[in-house]
Amino acid sequence: MNNPKPPFASEVQQEADRWREETFAPHAAARPARKPFVTDVGIEVAPLYTPADLERIGFDYLRDAGFPGEFPFTRGDRPGMNRTEPFVVSAYSGFGDAVVCNQRFKKLIEIGAEQILVALDLPTQCGYDSDHEMATAEVGQVGVAIDTLADMELLFEGIPADSLKRIGTLGNSIGPIVLALYAALGEKQGIPWERYVVNLQNDPLKEYIARGTQILPPAPAAVLAADAVAWCAEHAPNWSPMTVCVNHINAGGAGSSLGTAIALANARHYLGLLLARGYSIDQVAPLLHLFPDERHDFFVSIANLRALRRTWARMMRDTYGAKRPESMACRTTVYGHGQEALAEPLNNIPRTAFGTLAYVLGGASYVYLASYDEAVSTPNEHSARVALRTLQILAHEHGFTDTADPLGGSYFVETLTAQVEQQILDGMAQIERIGGALGVLDTGFGRKVMTEGAVRRQRALDRGERPWVTVNLWPQKPDVPNTAFRGDPQAADRQLARLAAVKAGRSQPEVAAALAEVSRAVAEGANVVPSVLRAVRAYATVGEIVDIWRSRFGSFVPNTDF
Amino acid sequence: MHAAADPHARRIRVLVAKVGLDGHDVGARVIARGLFDAGMEVIYTGLRRTTAEVVRAAIDEDVDWIGVSTLSGAHRVMLPKLRRLLDENDATDIRIIAGGVIPQEDIPELIANGVSRVFLSGTPVAEIVDYLVQETPRA
Repeated sequence: MNNPKPPFASEVQQEADRWREETFAPHAAARPARKPFVTDVGIEVAPLYTPADLERIGFDYLRDAGFPGEFPFTRGDRPGMNRTEPFVVSAYSGFGDAVVCNQRFKKLIEIGAEQILVALDLPTQCGYDSDHEMATAEVGQVGVAIDTLADMELLFEGIPADSLKRIGTLGNSIGPIVLALYAALGEKQGIPWERYVVNLQNDPLKEYIARGTQILPPAPAAVLAADAVAWCAEHAPNWSPMTVCVNHINAGGAGSSLGTAIALANARHYLGLLLARGYSIDQVAPLLHLFPDERHDFFVSIANLRALRRTWARMMRDTYGAKRPESMACRTTVYGHGQEALAEPLNNIPRTAFGTLAYVLGGASYVYLASYDEAVSTPNEHSARVALRTLQILAHEHGFTDTADPLGGSYFVETLTAQVEQQILDGMAQIERIGGALGVLDTGFGRKVMTEGAVRRQRALDRGERPWVTVNLWPQKPDVPNTAFRGDPQAADRQLARLAAVKAGRSQPEVAAALAEVSRAVAEGANVVPSVLRAVRAYATVGEIVDIWRSRFGSFVPNTDF
Repeated sequence: MHAAADPHARRIRVLVAKVGLDGHDVGARVIARGLFDAGMEVIYTGLRRTTAEVVRAAIDEDVDWIGVSTLSGAHRVMLPKLRRLLDENDATDIRIIAGGVIPQEDIPELIANGVSRVFLSGTPVAEIVDYLVQETPRA
């Protein structure tokens, strides 16, 4: 047996340089470059990676990679990862009113959904009741309308809260209200809070630069979101009441690395509010989840998840002095996308499958997958089924999930992980200098990077630098098919009738007393959740509660920059 | 013969609008920037405007076009209402284009209700620029 050479021998670099010059360059020179080999985050991809790259980035296995379920969690947040604890097959769904939506949920569960996150319609997300003028033409359109607890009871009729691994919704600007609705739902179903898990997005800060369901000015919105986390720390520590999102920030144009930095700054803002109230980092950090996102470059996606876990772990230990592994292990929710196109929508099935495969290989804990028609409409039953089946195939076929972090140690992936990590750290330092999460909003920095990124992506597509089949390669006319899911045209009428009936049937003195309590809590700066919980139990509407917040804190001012 | 590049011509004025609760405005901002870069005067309304607010802004700013970006499915109610309000305010000369996610079968009805043209997501910005340059009456 020859003595094995150490992997970082200097002659590897010399030989790699020689290969590039003698063998690769003449070959490549004879062939026109298909495209610029630059990822969406701006990192250039080399034609080949070797052990010399690991040496160049100063890769130290025990320090930078380690082992799954242990610091720095690069190789995974769980000890056995998908082998022992497969990612949770999740569905995001909602349309019409609670009655039709409940039928769809039962179908999804029958197909195998293990978690359901409720898509709310825009009036609900923005704090308007279905009978408000601003709700015109929007009731039940992009999600289900929820005005009161009565809607929640119908929505989960025959679906016990503890029959799924997690239930929840986004509710970014109405976090305490949706939290209270889910807490009251358990009471109605006779299931104690410790027996089920509620997951919320409850991340209002990103709404101001992406997604756009903001209601209040950013500072008080963040305080209300922190209220929901604080309430869970006391009453439901097994819930995950906040999922800090890169998703919409990246999709809107920031790119996944800077998007991650912005999301981490948002997380730091929420954590700061909680620590200032006297909670310890180990009480609250385990309640936060992260929602990373990268939908352009498969390997960057894997690198991003690994770099995020490492960055989070080090930040928790070194910046916050966290002691519990649960604080340092970054749990991730992902929503698999690709470059979905409007033309020939069935092609979005492989696109989203590949995008999601990257998340699975990167070690995501909770995985959703966009339906092939999602760019066009609320998924129909067929496309929702394909999305869930694709997740099940990823979980069980091909051996994708047999070993932890299967691409760890890859010269390419470890190099990318280090490069992405550096971009995230640089972004965090930059954001720190402009005043953190609120600075991102106040200085216009967030808005600027979003627009610049979106324009840059559009140009890359228009010039063909970012290949896109059926758009700039083999172009087809974009088409929104007539088969797009339209929901039940009667749903809005049913919703309005139910809202009127609930309002007529509830105890008005009880509602008035509960709403007075909500007013008192916001005036005193107390945690709003207990008062909101009392109000939703009394069948106060989402709009009635949000109106109190609006009158106390004012409304956000729309930004007209572009 | 790029009319927008003629320094003596009145520049084409466009109000890019988001109406209602739909908060996704990346497309709207990319189009606004693209039209601006092509030499047009562009105003963006920002999020969550009512049809009445958009009509008021369009008239105050004396625009040639309103470009509405819509992704939430409210287009069938919102776009005809916008046209009706413009006409009621004697702004029949202000024309509407729409972009975003709109099912094919809805387009004829929108055109019949006073929308000049629908550009679906994925349309190159240049195509929209060319359309506006061709269709804007020159004084």
